[in-house]
Amino acid sequence: MSQTWIRHALYRRTMNPRRQAASLAILGMFVAIFIGALYLSQSSATSTLGRQLGELIEERDQLQQFNEQLRAEIAGYRTVERLLRRAQELGFVQASSDDIEYIVIDGYDPNRTISVVPLEAEEAPLPAYEESFTGWLQQQWDLLTGQIDQFSNREVRR
Amino acid sequence: MQLRGEYNQQDVVRRRMPFVIGVMLALTGLLFLRLASFQFPLPPEVQSYLESLRDAGYRQTLELAADRGIIYDRNGEPMAVNSLDYMIGISPNLIADPRQVATQLASALGVNELEVYEAITSDVLWVQLAPRVSSSVRQQIAALDITGVTMTPIPRRGYPQGPLAAQVIGFVSGDLQGYYGVEGYYQDQLAGQVREREISNIPFDLPEITTVGHGRDIVLTIDRDAQFIAENELLRSIQETGATGGTIIIMNPRDGEILAMASYPTFDPNAYYNIEDERQLINPAISENYEPGSVMKVITVASALDRGVITPDFTYVDQASLNIAGINVENWDDQSHGVVDVTQLLVQSLNVGAATVAQEMGTTAFYDEFDDFGFGRRTGIDLQGEESGLMPVPGDPNWSEANFITSSFGQGISVTPLQMLTAVSAIANDGLMMQPHVVRQFVDGDQVINAQPSALGRPISAEVANEVTQMMIAVVEQGLDNQARLPGYTIAGKTGTAQIPNAIGYEPDASITTFVGFLPADAPQISILIKLDRPRGYWASQVVAPIFRRLVERLVILMEIPTDDVRLALDAQGGSVLNIQR
Repeated sequence: MSQTWIRHALYRRTMNPRRQAASLAILGMFVAIFIGALYLSQSSATSTLGRQLGELIEERDQLQQFNEQLRAEIAGYRTVERLLRRAQELGFVQASSDDIEYIVIDGYDPNRTISVVPLEAEEAPLPAYEESFTGWLQQQWDLLTGQIDQFSNREVRR
Repeated sequence: MQLRGEYNQQDVVRRRMPFVIGVMLALTGLLFLRLASFQFPLPPEVQSYLESLRDAGYRQTLELAADRGIIYDRNGEPMAVNSLDYMIGISPNLIADPRQVATQLASALGVNELEVYEAITSDVLWVQLAPRVSSSVRQQIAALDITGVTMTPIPRRGYPQGPLAAQVIGFVSGDLQGYYGVEGYYQDQLAGQVREREISNIPFDLPEITTVGHGRDIVLTIDRDAQFIAENELLRSIQETGATGGTIIIMNPRDGEILAMASYPTFDPNAYYNIEDERQLINPAISENYEPGSVMKVITVASALDRGVITPDFTYVDQASLNIAGINVENWDDQSHGVVDVTQLLVQSLNVGAATVAQEMGTTAFYDEFDDFGFGRRTGIDLQGEESGLMPVPGDPNWSEANFITSSFGQGISVTPLQMLTAVSAIANDGLMMQPHVVRQFVDGDQVINAQPSALGRPISAEVANEVTQMMIAVVEQGLDNQARLPGYTIAGKTGTAQIPNAIGYEPDASITTFVGFLPADAPQISILIKLDRPRGYWASQVVAPIFRRLVERLVILMEIPTDDVRLALDAQGGSVLNIQR
């Protein structure tokens, strides 16, 4: 039974032209729907991302403004007059020459050279990719090679 | 059985179909190829053409003013910052319950409730309720969560230190333009660039990530604490002496950094529009010409020594007065002092001696030397509104030989307080005259640009500078009734009492008193000028010398300048000090 069906399918040379046209139309429609869906999906993602980005930019600007505002307020709290008043409230008095004693410390040189441990090497900067097909291909390739490198390094460590 | 016509039609369709399919496939292929071609970089002209077509109707450009740079003192304390005020408005047609909203907003804004109610019920699309409120008021209104209320941010320049150093800093007006002081002089640096932001109406376009931008921050040479002490002492002196105004400048003679520059009357840059007289905005330390009086004798003596006209051993016979160039030059005490050397000329501040030295020099040498000291020229300090002083020279219509003689003791020549201090600081700095400046650093993002000290010239040699310094030490040690002395420190200084010129000569009972000095005299760290206008006491030695001492007493503590013995001990061993408060 099944052999008959396969033979029929294999040896069927001709097809009803109407069915053939309809099949092509349906195929075209599926392709169009697929491409359309793909496009809509991408557009929707881009649009959502754009909105999120806009919100983040607005939030960043607001935070910067808030930061400036805080800076101004902090500066207001650190005026000399306010610090003096607060110091007096806490019982401090202004020093006079008689209150100061300078002590000479033999051999102490504040201008001595101080060796500082160098900071760790900075991470390599991220590569810049073009926003084009070739750029995308390059990015994918780099990701792939990066993963392979990572994997091979892990293997070596084992 | 098929009809012939039906057969033919099917046959035609069958024959044509591959062609149609082929054409459609070819077109689809072309479309796909074209679509793919956009994924590769396009020629620049095509790219820009397409972008211009795209942008024509779907984009708009917004201009964003950069945040103004912050101004800090030398220790990083903010002197000028940015903050925001808010304009409060409302759209009446969005208000459901005008009465309740009016009550809430009137309470938050501190205005009449009826006025708010009338505004809310008016027949307009939008109405302004308050032109400028603080951020705290804005927060109160935001907490009310009223639909239809708009809060538009308005940039504002704030000066957290209030009037402190106002004349150095200047102010920024409502149009964000800086005036006077650093704000005016460095307007372009502080303001930064206006940047453009592209706004797209296409929802699929990603917004352009632009930072608003920031003008350059400026770090001043001003020490906020030294400035506070200077202003504090100046105000106290004015209250004590009844002076009408005054100036104190503190400078590092080694590099020309201005550590403090205080003048009175002054203003609050947060409310510059409230001043009674526009002259309050001007910085007298750099803009006010005055006759300095006997302080100028130091320059006369230094010039004569530098020219080799006199030596430190030079003497003359002082006979209380000297008739020369058609005028009678008299000493302040109308006394004759007999044989006087150069040091005693300065210690006793003798006009006859200064006139004699000037006469020895002659006009050409005298004015050449005074020109080297920068009189009659701006110092070039980085502050808006500096004046050049007035030094008539031979050939000028207002010059006379009498003018040449009186200039030697500081009359008939006008200087700014800063010019005078700059000239005396050259003596402190081994003869090298540094350009005074108030900006230490520019900070542009991660980039820090240091302002390099620059020399205006070397009016006198180091040797002469040291000789004059010794004479100025003698002035403080011997000449001012110990009024300017501070135990433990060697101070060099000179007073000046100048008459105030009027239309017919000089005012009889009014004076401008000046003290210029520096310390430690052998290794100067600060040079100071104090000037008081029309104090009750007439003589500078009585009026400003004690103020100098008081000021210095506070400054050596603030700046940790040890007494001479400690400093010399440290120099000997190359160490440093710890200061301990008992």
